[in-house]
Amino acid sequence: MIFRAAINWALGLFRRFLQVRAVFTTVVLSGIALLVVGGFLSYSIGNGLYQTRVNQILQESERGVIEVQNTFSASTVTDEISLQTLLNSVVPSLESSGTSDSRKIALLRTPAQIGTQILQSPISADLDTAVIPFDLKTNVRNSLGRLSYQAVSLPQANGSAHPGVVVGAPIEIPIAGKYELYLVFDLDGEQQTLDFVQNVLFWGMLILLALIGIVSYFVTNWLVRPVKVAADVSEEIAEGALDRRLTEKGQDIIATLARSFNRMADSLQKQITKLASVSNMQQRFVSDVSHELRTPLTTIKLAGEVIFASREKLEPAAKRSAELMNDQIDRFESLLNDLLEISRYDAGAVAADLEVQDLNGLVGSAIAGLEPLAQSRGSIIEVLIPSGPVDAEVDGRRIERLIRNLLANAIEHGEGQPIQVAVGASDSAVAISVTDSGIGMSRSEAERVFDRFWRADPARKRTTGGTGLGLAISLEDTQLHGGWLQVWAKPNQGASFRLTVPRRFGEIFTQSPLPLPPKSSRKISGSNE
Amino acid sequence: MAHKILVVDDDNALREMVGIVLEAEGYELCYHDAGSGALESFKNQEPDLVLLDVMLPGKDGIEVCREIRTVSGTPIIMLTAKTESEDVVLGLEAGADDYVVKPFDPTVLLARIRARLRPLSPSTSEMVQIGPLTLDVNGHEVRRGSEKVLLTPLEFNLLLTLAAKPKQVFTREMLLELVWGYHYKADTRLVNVHVQRLRSKIEDDPDNPKIVTTVRGIGYKAGLG
Repeated sequence: MIFRAAINWALGLFRRFLQVRAVFTTVVLSGIALLVVGGFLSYSIGNGLYQTRVNQILQESERGVIEVQNTFSASTVTDEISLQTLLNSVVPSLESSGTSDSRKIALLRTPAQIGTQILQSPISADLDTAVIPFDLKTNVRNSLGRLSYQAVSLPQANGSAHPGVVVGAPIEIPIAGKYELYLVFDLDGEQQTLDFVQNVLFWGMLILLALIGIVSYFVTNWLVRPVKVAADVSEEIAEGALDRRLTEKGQDIIATLARSFNRMADSLQKQITKLASVSNMQQRFVSDVSHELRTPLTTIKLAGEVIFASREKLEPAAKRSAELMNDQIDRFESLLNDLLEISRYDAGAVAADLEVQDLNGLVGSAIAGLEPLAQSRGSIIEVLIPSGPVDAEVDGRRIERLIRNLLANAIEHGEGQPIQVAVGASDSAVAISVTDSGIGMSRSEAERVFDRFWRADPARKRTTGGTGLGLAISLEDTQLHGGWLQVWAKPNQGASFRLTVPRRFGEIFTQSPLPLPPKSSRKISGSNE
Repeated sequence: MAHKILVVDDDNALREMVGIVLEAEGYELCYHDAGSGALESFKNQEPDLVLLDVMLPGKDGIEVCREIRTVSGTPIIMLTAKTESEDVVLGLEAGADDYVVKPFDPTVLLARIRARLRPLSPSTSEMVQIGPLTLDVNGHEVRRGSEKVLLTPLEFNLLLTLAAKPKQVFTREMLLELVWGYHYKADTRLVNVHVQRLRSKIEDDPDNPKIVTTVRGIGYKAGLG
């Protein structure tokens, strides 16, 4: 588990940090390169050492063999005892022992000769003739006097083995017949040198690798640091500290990066400041227009009311004019209100006045306000609400206005059919739907229904005095609450608008508590079988 | 005797039009057209009610309202073109009793004026005791022991409404109807702001009120417990 955690930690580090990746890659690639170079060096040195030694051995052996052969050829001994003495003197004369340069000798009689062996073969004291390979013996017998050699492994008393070379040559001894002289060389000295060189190479390369790692860490650090600073600064800029900049130093690529980064930040800051000031100006404009238009409109309205109140005393044309003016002043006022509201949204100057409220109550007061209009159009408003209170954190004024807008819309397009208002609630969201069974809309019309001043049928006359901004404002109100406002409609079957908002402001919800398209309330009550 | 109303507005046409509407209802009118000098005009005319525009040249309506409150508790109704929360609350905190949003109906304006000039409903008793305070209903006076506490008529009315039925909880809507004369839903901030102002005058520690207490989620009542 700990191992796995360590691996995960390392992988995380690897993924997160460019520098870790760079250092890791450098070290791995350098490691492979060093391994190749080290292998080559070690092989070359080993081979060189061996070849040199073998050449030396062959020269020594040749000298030794010639000497021995000459000794025997020149000797005049005839009796076996003096011959044996002579034989015995060969070994000590060639033998040498040392820690790095030991040489053992064996003078063996070639087997399968006529006559029996009468002389004892002299052999170095601690030489086991088993180390002389059979192949070599065969080579020696067929060599016609030349030297033969073979690399062997020399078992040691402590169980290890030294590398060695056995050189062999045939010797002709008078009286005694054919003999074979074997010189066994111990290459332990060379092996030790090679071991030492390899050891030095190994540690040298390991240190070199560590140094490469450290150097690459510093180099990448040197390269990555400006990038990291740039990343930190862009993070700060993204979080709103628009005046943060990089230091521009030198002429290299990093300095170029810093300069372009700063230029980009400058132009961004300029744009943002400009946009902010435009937005501020628009807010002020909205506020000023509000005041400037409202004051004369108040005078007009008061004057209109005074004239309207005394309309009975006027001539018919003037009386009708007074009535028309009175209506249009109201319409003008609601148009002005809607325009100002939508400009406030456009200027980003709207803040929700949130409070936990009972949605049923808001629906109730919205219906109360529009009941007279519905009655005048012959529409009954049917209400389907949960029995208990439906509490949600909303801007009550805006939500009530939104419900009023939806209701007015339903009444206008409801053709006198009943209108259903439903309220639903789940743990995370609350919903209100307003459904009419009137003329409805096509799909393409429904897509444009929230557009400003859009009318499904321009030829259709406006009777309820809507401003054409109601649904656009409703959509803005919904978005202010972080909710959904959706529409379902079918030509000649009616339309349904569904508002869904989170129970608590800022909460996430994934589903509306009410269906869209709605289940018809009358169908439910009719399916009692 | 006809009530006298001071209209402070820089718009000549609106001032004249408001005058026409109010004179038709039998009020006596006087006018001022700027923020500066409004206080002097108020002192000279001694009106029974002030209609005060928020946006005025020289000195804004909120400042004028604050000045008038330093010398008098005369009802003040702000005329505001803005419905933005801060503006309305600022006006109320400066001491305005009520506000109407432009463009308003003459009927709305008249209803608001009448509500502010309406005499207090006759009380059964002449003296009402609430905590350390004694309310003289007929004399429109509040005393803490022998010390007189200065309240505007609206604040007096608010306190009397609460104190007349101690322990009864009044919702903001009930208070809007009883004190401000709204019969339909209105801005409950009117109640919140004026309760704050009232507390700052009568409570020892306005942040920890003992005379007018809040009943969370419902409204207000007089007394503790």
